[in-house]
Amino acid sequence: MKITVNHKPAYALAVVDLEEGETVVAEGGAMVSKDSHVGMQTSAGKKGQGALGGLLKGLKRMVAGESFFQNRFTPEGAPGHVTFAPTLVGDIAVHEMTGGSLFLQSTAFLCSAEGVEVDAKWGGAKTFFGGEGLIMLKATGAGPIAFNSFGAIREVDVDGSFVVDTGHIVAFEESLTFKVRRFGGGWKSFFLSGEGLVCNFSGTGRLWIQTRNPAEFGRAVGPLLPPREH
Amino acid sequence: MQHSIRNKPDYALLNLMMDEGDQVVTEAGAMVGMTTGLDLQTNMKGGLLGAAKRALGGESLFLNTYTAKEGKQRLDLAPSAPGDIEHFAMVGGTLMVQSGSYLAATADVVVDTKWTGAKTFFGGEGLFMLRCSGQGDLWFSTYGAVHTVDVQGSYTVDTGHIVAFEDSLSFKVRSVGGMKSLFFSSEGLVCEFSGTGRLFLQTRNSAQLAGFLHPFRRVKPKQK
Repeated sequence: MKITVNHKPAYALAVVDLEEGETVVAEGGAMVSKDSHVGMQTSAGKKGQGALGGLLKGLKRMVAGESFFQNRFTPEGAPGHVTFAPTLVGDIAVHEMTGGSLFLQSTAFLCSAEGVEVDAKWGGAKTFFGGEGLIMLKATGAGPIAFNSFGAIREVDVDGSFVVDTGHIVAFEESLTFKVRRFGGGWKSFFLSGEGLVCNFSGTGRLWIQTRNPAEFGRAVGPLLPPREH
Repeated sequence: MQHSIRNKPDYALLNLMMDEGDQVVTEAGAMVGMTTGLDLQTNMKGGLLGAAKRALGGESLFLNTYTAKEGKQRLDLAPSAPGDIEHFAMVGGTLMVQSGSYLAATADVVVDTKWTGAKTFFGGEGLFMLRCSGQGDLWFSTYGAVHTVDVQGSYTVDTGHIVAFEDSLSFKVRSVGGMKSLFFSSEGLVCEFSGTGRLFLQTRNSAQLAGFLHPFRRVKPKQK
């Protein structure tokens, strides 16, 4: 499997080249195009996991803000390709997993090799309080994984300590420990600084941040739209 | 007439340098800036019926025709969404253009609405295509980047990402995967192309942006 990212950075499109019989797992709704001989199957869990296991996995993913079902694409009879794009404008990064773990912001997952297991992970009660939904996805296993950002994506190699606004986190390696906390000196800056919650990373490892915050964009545009019924 | 596309690919702007007598037909609202030696006529091209068909296609009822009354006139045009603009030289063939993607064409390009069948309507992503034929220059816009695919054989595309394709390709709209996928895959309807020809895709889908923004809308107060 080879994942190539075209049209970087603003309107990135992931092109996944697959051998015959090879499978890529993708977020529901992400497919843009494919060779017609690439078949698609929809399921909540993995093959052979059983109905209950699939249901649990799907529910956990849904709580994390991802789709309940995931789609699996496999070329039949010949090699083929599938292309995927995220919902918002922005970039796509590809990371080769080699046995470690990677944490992803809940809406950042785009697609991965079958050998990569993506599971929802609770970020702790304090993160929930922030409303930024820092319920994360934990990717483990081996193979490539592609994740998307809103705006541009920047890599930060943390060595020591680094603070990021929770809405700007895309992904980070498990070797980093993190703590979510209020930003600034006290309650006054929490409510008035507009900064809300931040994530304090420490240790050594790679962190990916996005240059725009989807929730802030939503809050800027949403009130300009006609009110909805419910 | 000379043309160039500036600020590619994120925020493309079409720049036309027109000689006396040159004519260009644009989507209403596309004009960004112009010199004053251009004459503007707004009309319902193709008569009332043609205009009504275009309105069904999601396009504005009106098209603007700009005519250069003297030499060295400049006209700048932009689409509504952030993204790219693609130029297509019409040399007698036919290009199908997704209705919302049409930006401009020279006067000899014939633009007609083609109804593609009820099944496309069902998907909520109304796949209305404009049938462009004749000779001249045509420009269309994309939300996101333009991704070009030279189809040989069979190729499948999500309907929300189709921008334009050559008439030499035949297509049918269907759901992707099996019954379970139809309801649960979130992939909606796809278009299956076959034959040989060029296909232009856009890498973002405006319906998905609307879906993202929906939860951020205010809720209408309940009326008693």
